[in-house]
Amino acid sequence: MKFIMNTGRTIRQGKHIESKLGSAYSDETGTCFMHPMDMLALGVDEKENVKAFTDVGEVVLTVVIDEGLPEGMIFIPYGRHCNAILPSTTHSTGMPDYKHSSVEIVPTIEQRKSAGEMMEEMGGVSYADN
Amino acid sequence: MSELLIKNGYVIDPLNDIHGEIMDIAVRDGRIVESVGNAADIIDAHGMLTLPGGIDSHTHICGTKVNFGRYMSPEDMRAGRTTRKGDMHATSGFSVPTTYGNSYRYSRMGYTTLLEGAMAPMEARHTHEEFQYTPLQDCMANTLFDGNWQALEAIGNGDIKRLAGVLAWYLTASKGFAVKLTNPGGTEAWGFGNDVSCINDKIEHFNVSPREIITGMIEANEMLNLPHSVHLHCNNLGKPGNYLCTLDTYNSIPDLNEKRQSLYSTHVQFHSYGGTSWHDFCSKAEDIARSVNNKPQIVIDSGQVMFGKTTTMTADGPMEFNLYRLYHNKWSNHDVELETGSGIIPVLYRRKNLVNAVMWAIGLELALLVDSPWQCILATDNPNGAPFVKYPEVMALLMSKKYRDAEFATVDPATESRVSLPALDRELDWEEIAIATRAAQAKALGLVDYGKGHLGIGADADIAIYPIDVSSTDPTTDYETIINGFSTTDYTIKLGHVVSRKGTCSIDNSNRTFWVRPRVPDNYDMNHDPAFIDCFNKYYSMRMANYPVQEEYAVRNICIETEATL
Amino acid sequence: MRIIEDMVCPFCGCLCDDVILTIENDMIIAADNCCTVGNAKFLGKKRLKSPIIKKDGVWEQTGYDEAIQYTVDTLLDADRPLMFGWSGTHGEAQCIGIHMNELIGGVIDSTTSVCHGPSILAIQEVGHPGCTLGQVKNRADLIIYWGCNPVEGHPRHMSRYTVYADGYFLQNSFKERKVIVVDVRETETAGIADEFVRVKPGGDFAVISALRAIIRGKGDIIPESVAGVSREQLVRVAELCKTCKFGALFFGLGLTMVKGKYKNISNAIELVDELNRHTKFTLTPMRGHWNVYGSNEVFTWMTGYPYAVDFCRGVAFYNPGETSAIDILARKECDACLVVASDPGAHFPRACVEHMKDIPTIVIDPFQTLTTTVADLQIPVAVTGIDAEGTAYRMDGIPLKVKKALDSNYPSDTEILSKMYEKMLEVQWQ
Repeated sequence: MKFIMNTGRTIRQGKHIESKLGSAYSDETGTCFMHPMDMLALGVDEKENVKAFTDVGEVVLTVVIDEGLPEGMIFIPYGRHCNAILPSTTHSTGMPDYKHSSVEIVPTIEQRKSAGEMMEEMGGVSYADN
Repeated sequence: MSELLIKNGYVIDPLNDIHGEIMDIAVRDGRIVESVGNAADIIDAHGMLTLPGGIDSHTHICGTKVNFGRYMSPEDMRAGRTTRKGDMHATSGFSVPTTYGNSYRYSRMGYTTLLEGAMAPMEARHTHEEFQYTPLQDCMANTLFDGNWQALEAIGNGDIKRLAGVLAWYLTASKGFAVKLTNPGGTEAWGFGNDVSCINDKIEHFNVSPREIITGMIEANEMLNLPHSVHLHCNNLGKPGNYLCTLDTYNSIPDLNEKRQSLYSTHVQFHSYGGTSWHDFCSKAEDIARSVNNKPQIVIDSGQVMFGKTTTMTADGPMEFNLYRLYHNKWSNHDVELETGSGIIPVLYRRKNLVNAVMWAIGLELALLVDSPWQCILATDNPNGAPFVKYPEVMALLMSKKYRDAEFATVDPATESRVSLPALDRELDWEEIAIATRAAQAKALGLVDYGKGHLGIGADADIAIYPIDVSSTDPTTDYETIINGFSTTDYTIKLGHVVSRKGTCSIDNSNRTFWVRPRVPDNYDMNHDPAFIDCFNKYYSMRMANYPVQEEYAVRNICIETEATL
Repeated sequence: MRIIEDMVCPFCGCLCDDVILTIENDMIIAADNCCTVGNAKFLGKKRLKSPIIKKDGVWEQTGYDEAIQYTVDTLLDADRPLMFGWSGTHGEAQCIGIHMNELIGGVIDSTTSVCHGPSILAIQEVGHPGCTLGQVKNRADLIIYWGCNPVEGHPRHMSRYTVYADGYFLQNSFKERKVIVVDVRETETAGIADEFVRVKPGGDFAVISALRAIIRGKGDIIPESVAGVSREQLVRVAELCKTCKFGALFFGLGLTMVKGKYKNISNAIELVDELNRHTKFTLTPMRGHWNVYGSNEVFTWMTGYPYAVDFCRGVAFYNPGETSAIDILARKECDACLVVASDPGAHFPRACVEHMKDIPTIVIDPFQTLTTTVADLQIPVAVTGIDAEGTAYRMDGIPLKVKKALDSNYPSDTEILSKMYEKMLEVQWQ
């Protein structure tokens, strides 16, 4: 199913901004807020996972109900998860489409990864002795 | 110890009655001295006009609105770029240059001291930050009081001593130099989108008139024994017919100080307009000059307009909105809680625009019609009338009727019926130019005793050596020589160091901030005044403890302490 | 135990300066008056203990001198270095960053390009009618939040400066003030609005244009509904705007990060210009990082431009979209990257982060971040507002001194960058 991906700050994302390798941060930024009607159409329940695709990649997210969202739009708190699938085009403005890009979403039983795992997949190395 | 001897310069030093003598100037450790030893560095100033360092007593170079002028104008930044070279950092900007741009360009013109014309006290830290990146001049700033609630309240209660206490607190907290009023009362009214019309309307809520604000502030200013007088941007700026308001204001100014004026009236060109609309707009410079000639208690600066692109910026928010409605260009506005306002729009002054041509003529008329150059300072209200780099052209226009006539021939022909400029034959001489560009500023700012504006023993060794041979230059005809000569010094010396040599600047790091700290009796010390503190806590969005500018924002500074007479 | 009052919170653009810290055994044990995020920042503990360097894919500790030398060598060796971040440090450090960048002929950009960069482009097109936050607090009887969610992003904005703040010209601020929230989502902020205007995604420009038309007396050309907003509601909102005594429009990334980008903001600014012909109206971008506005101020007085400044030709050159960090990384143009006080590893699109991993990347930051993982070196520094001090600019341009509460052995950003700059100057003179 096609959605508009909207990303943005949340209070919990802000709270954990200085420990992004911790699980609380990934719990927040790996969340996909969705309207209940869309969840019904997609056949997912709260706390179940979905996979979001774009031309640049895919990411697994955990669904949470948000009746405040319009149908057809998902909201993901800022962080590695949403940016893993965000195209880097800025239309010559310097600003990517953080709040308005198209994604395809399907239900999945795959596990969600943490931000640290996603960095490691990209070839990053976290520093353990911290 | 560092010593310097400037030999054989043609020296004009009006404050020391030196009216053009070939002489040597000795410098030790940044000050002018009687003589120096044989080991002193020598500068040969033979055949060169040698003057005290230039002073701009009203310019906009540092602080919130200046920086916003840059921020909103990439087109202006693009119009004046230089690369990093030697000691010099890269610069950008034409009418609102970066801080380094301001500093280098003023320095190459021989300017060593600058007064930022308008600083909102709540944003003073910003001005002081930029001063630190203006490395080749001593700087100071006027603190804005035109819409200050605590001041307006004291005036409304007729309590001028309390007003003095309020001024003292804010001047000290903002590390400001002088009391500035911009469209007094008008900026508070602009808080709800209104303005005042001249000086008699009471402003809402505070129930005081601009006249009461101006006269109250002058009285309080003198109680504090400050070096400078009240510095006023009159009401009604830029409106046809506003000269009556200006005259009315001047007529209410008392003469309270023996050493200097009691009122510094700034950019008076913008306040000398006749007519009832833009259709019958005309010059009233003669009326204004006559008033100034009769009032030793008033000093003005001309606020000269020069043709070309520039940026207007002032604390006078409602005026800028009016300009925006005329020009339909981009408009910025920034009101400051409990204090003042500000506005910015870019403009283009055109020779073929009748209003612009009349404005250009009025500035020159003021400088030519005010008898004493001590009472009419040369300034463009940089960058409002023109960027300061135009000063040499202004000097040449004032020194040469021939140049004026040549320029006049290029403006809208209808200008002739609106102005008296073509009939004015006066041509300023070298000494009058020296007065109008440094000595008069030092006197008006009260800085002669602090070593500014002259070359007497003990003065700051701020010296400008221009490649102008006075003996072979006739300024009434050789105006190109005047423009080129005043544009780039051979040497600009700041506190004894050569900071600019034929336009190439070097690092100095001796720039200082001048500020005042008036001492008031305990019962007028607002730090302990419950009503003052209460107002702060309730209505400011910043804590009182965080408000004063900390010491580290004025690394090298000259604090002028005064004792209030309350 | 010691109590310090009037501390400035270094988290968001609100720059609340009434924080009370309790210190015990050289630790902050309580931060009063703070919101949740500010509190977390003051009480955060997980700092890097020393510089770390990645050798053959393994992190190891290194010394400050070595780290500084490595950075200097890397940046001087680069053809096209990028220096990014700056919003999370104080102005004094930003000044040195500019000098460094000018010297090495690099590109310097702040997080502005990924927050309110488009707002600045709009301001450069049509200006900015604004004011300080206290002006809103004392006067405004109409507050509009458009495309922003202060409850989550700026938790104390409403209580300190707008909806719930006491004001001089209002008898009962909360009752007298009307609040309009415009958003595509029904956020928590929308819950407190007198008028919640729900716009269809991508429809903000049209809604602003419709309001401008109504205010200009052309309401009859408005269709039944514009981007999901009924004509009836548009007329009602326009009327509220025209008839208030002082209106204040705050807007967020909901306008800058969607289709239309800076054109949305230009339109909003011109709406406010228009309203000033009827009443008093101001507009303020909700700046995110505590000192992102300071980075714009510093960049501007030093270079002439607020962000995205390229010194490769010696002069300052500015062209967001070309000289902004995302574009330079996505084009794989830069060959070294210095990241100061921000985390592009978390906030940049994948392609940009992949390129950072492929080039020498150096991070100056107190905490391990996601950028750390793709970097080659990280230098921990003191946290401004906790164990370092310096100047910051609030979202409305008010400069504040951010004070320190503790002494620590960590160097400040200013100290680290000064040392780097001095070394670069030495190399230049040799």
